[in-house]
Amino acid sequence: MNEPALIQDAQHGDLDAFNTLVLHYQDMVFNVALRILGDDELAADAAQEAFISAFRSINSFRGGSFKAWLMRTVTNACYDELRRQKRRPTTPLEPDTNDGEEMDSPRWLADPNMSPEQEAEANELEHAIQHCLENLPTDFRVVVVMADIQGLDYSEVATATRVPLGTIKSRLARARLRLRECLQGFEELLPASFRLGERRSV
Amino acid sequence: MNFRDVELLSTYLDGQLNPSDSTRLESRLKTDLELAAVMDDLRAARGTLRQLPSRRAPRNFTLTAKMVGLKPPLPRAYPIFRFASVFAALLFFLSYATNLVAPRLSATSAPYGYGVGGGGGCSEEEPCEAAPALEMPAAPQEPFAATEAPVATEAPLLAEAPATTETPMATAALAMAPTQMAIAPTEMPLTAEDSARVVETPSAKNGEPESTNGIPPEVQNEVPVSYIWLIGFAVVAVLSALVAYLLRLSAIRKWRRRVG
Repeated sequence: MNEPALIQDAQHGDLDAFNTLVLHYQDMVFNVALRILGDDELAADAAQEAFISAFRSINSFRGGSFKAWLMRTVTNACYDELRRQKRRPTTPLEPDTNDGEEMDSPRWLADPNMSPEQEAEANELEHAIQHCLENLPTDFRVVVVMADIQGLDYSEVATATRVPLGTIKSRLARARLRLRECLQGFEELLPASFRLGERRSV
Repeated sequence: MNFRDVELLSTYLDGQLNPSDSTRLESRLKTDLELAAVMDDLRAARGTLRQLPSRRAPRNFTLTAKMVGLKPPLPRAYPIFRFASVFAALLFFLSYATNLVAPRLSATSAPYGYGVGGGGGCSEEEPCEAAPALEMPAAPQEPFAATEAPVATEAPLLAEAPATTETPMATAALAMAPTQMAIAPTEMPLTAEDSARVVETPSAKNGEPESTNGIPPEVQNEVPVSYIWLIGFAVVAVLSALVAYLLRLSAIRKWRRRVG
C-alpha cells in the first residue's frame, strides 16, 4: 500500500483511495475506540464517525504519521461519545441476547481456535483488563490504550492527543501504577509470567 | 522512592529514556530492591495490557459518497447556464411587471397634466365638465343608456351646476360621447362617476377617441418593454434552465457510474 499516494488522492476527493486507507486502519481504529469506550456498538459508531471526520478534514493533514493523525480523530470521536453518554443513561458492556438478557460469555469475544476453558479464561481476563481500564480517568485511559495496547510511540501519542511529551510520560506512569493496583484484584486470571508481585506502596 | 522514579521506570520500560538516565537508573535498580519490584510490577501491568487480543472490526467502515456528502463534479458551463436562466427569468418578470404597472401610473397622473392646459381645470367659476354630463341622458339612441341609469338619477344634482359656460366644443364632445361610450359595456360597466369623468376629460371635448377607464389610447398601447423582449427573456430562461438541468443530470449519471 502506497500510503502517501493514497493520502494525496484522498485529499483530492478520491473516496476509493480513502477507503483503501480505511480498510487498512479500521481494525486499529475500532480497537482503540473499543478500549476507550468499552462497548462494541459504541466503538463501531465512534470508528465510523472518526473515518467520516477524517475524510472531511483530510486536507488538514500536513504530513507526519498518518496513524497518529487518524488516532486523533478517533480519540475526538470517543470523547464526543463519552460526553453524549454523560447526558443519557449508560449502556451495559455486555451485549444483549435476543431475549434481552445480558450474555455472560459473549460470542463477540470468542476465538474459534481456543478450547472452551481457554476461551472462558480469556474472556475473564479481557473483562478484568477492560474493567480496570474503565476505572482510569479518560485522559489516562486514552494514553495507555495508545501506548500499551496499540504500541504507538510517545511522539505519536503526543500528536494524537495534542498533549506535551512530558505529560504523556507522566500520564502513562500514573496509568500503569493504577492498573497494577487494579489488576492485583484479578491475580488468579493473569498468566503466570505476568503475575504481579506483592502490593507495594509508592 | 517518589513519583519521579516511577515515571523514570515507566519511560525506561518503553526505551524512551536518554542513555545517561538509563545508565544511572540501571545502577540504582541493582541496589534498590523496592525500585526493582516496582519496575517488575510496571512491566507486568504493561505486559498484561499487551495480552489483550486485537479484535477485528465488526464490519467495514468504508465510506460512501452519501455518508460524506460528496457531490458530483459539475461541468464548468453549468453555473453559466444556471445564472443565465435566473437572470432571464428575473428580467422577464420585471419587464412584465413594468408593462403592467406603467400604463396605470401614467393614467392616474394624466388628468392633472391635461388640466394645466386650461381646458380641464374646473372650479366654481368654471364648472365646465358638469354641463355635458347632464345632457347625456337626453341624447337619443344612447347605447349605454340602460347601464348608465345611475347617471340619469344623479342628473338632477348635476343639473344645478351652471351650464351657461358650455362652449360649442363641449357640445361637439357630447355628440361624440355615445359612440365612444358604446365600447364601455364590453370592457367594464361604468358607474356614474366614471361616465362623468369621461365626459369631463379634455380629449372628449376635443372629440378624440378615448378608452372608458380614462387611459388615453396612446398611453395604453405604448408599453415600456416590447413584447418581443418579453418572449425573448422567457425563451432564454427556459432554454438555459433546460440545458443546465441536462448538464447536471449527465454529470450525476457519469459520476454514479464511476463511484458505483
